[in-house]
Amino acid sequence: MKALAAPLTALLLAGLALAPLPARAADQEIPLTIEKNRFEPAEIKVKAGAPFVLVITNKDKSAEEFESKDLKIEKVIAGGKTVKVKVPALKAGTYKFVGEYHEATAQGRIVAE
Amino acid sequence: MGATFLITLREAFEAALLLGLVYTYLDKTGARRHFTWVSVGGALGLAASIAMGVAVAYFSGPLIDLGPDVIGAGVIFLAVILLTWHAWWMQRHARGIRGQVERRIDEARSTQRLWMVGLIAFTGVFREGAETVIFLWGLMAEATSAAGWGSVVAGVAGVVAAGTLGWVIFRGGQRLSLARFFTVTTVLVLFLAAGLFSTGIGRLQSLGVLPMMAPLWDTSWLLSDSSAVGSFLAGLLGYRARPSLLEMSGYLAYLLVVGFVMFGGAWRRPAPAPAVRASASR
Repeated sequence: MKALAAPLTALLLAGLALAPLPARAADQEIPLTIEKNRFEPAEIKVKAGAPFVLVITNKDKSAEEFESKDLKIEKVIAGGKTVKVKVPALKAGTYKFVGEYHEATAQGRIVAE
Repeated sequence: MGATFLITLREAFEAALLLGLVYTYLDKTGARRHFTWVSVGGALGLAASIAMGVAVAYFSGPLIDLGPDVIGAGVIFLAVILLTWHAWWMQRHARGIRGQVERRIDEARSTQRLWMVGLIAFTGVFREGAETVIFLWGLMAEATSAAGWGSVVAGVAGVVAAGTLGWVIFRGGQRLSLARFFTVTTVLVLFLAAGLFSTGIGRLQSLGVLPMMAPLWDTSWLLSDSSAVGSFLAGLLGYRARPSLLEMSGYLAYLLVVGFVMFGGAWRRPAPAPAVRASASR
């Protein structure tokens, strides 16, 4: 147990140190709403090269998981909740995202240009 | 309903796999009476998942925005460390086994590794546990009709199905000889940990700790990692339909470095295979 305590503590500290601070005021906030298992808007345009914050509001009763394999983001949003997701600066391109719990209808994309 | 079943099956599969492995490990080393370590670890993981689920469902703010992601990434790397350590230990002992199973069992007991299997059970359950809790909770909130309750049943059935798979792994593992079980699990755990390691790298990319980059390739048209088969391969081998360069190199680097450390010695020395086979026939 002792042998592992040091690396574990180091890992935890490293994790805390590396964790980015809550979104800086400078980052643009972009609203995204989930309603009736769909995203609104389904297409979001952002500037390439600038980090931003997605403010995702789930108006449904059921939980949804904002998931983007392209962005490596998985974020569960409980019913009726709003969650802010910081997105790092993106290269120009299209990044798809889905609501994992209602993948048939909840689809959208971020276009960075 | 089918989708609901698949979602919870997918979320709970990894936990079931890890629990199945550590229970089998204890069984094989004659430490069945220490099953409680794994059970307690799993139960604590479940309790932590529910606590996190409640926090996410009832509170909001910067802490809830970021906290679960940071904890999630921490749990992933903790699991990688624990699994690597455990696999290394098993591999070292698999080489030493020459049929004197009893002696090895005594050694396993005396090395006091029980807290570690307990911790593996904890991380296994906690990793995707909170998501499953929130998902099922949301389904129940929505369940005002018969169809709604059908979804809840399907969701619970997914967790049960995952548990059954874990049980099958447990039974399958019991049939193997101790030496073979150690070797098989070491290889399995190696791939599993490599996949987790690359998942962790992906999380750090999304948290902005590591740079974001475009996927190297896209095989989601062939096998999407959210499909049933794709998600099993993702859990077992770390399959990614759209890996980034960092995830891919992390995966390969882990496999090569840890694989070499564990099996490098075995390649150089004359094969201990006959002895292993002798113990396999019992």
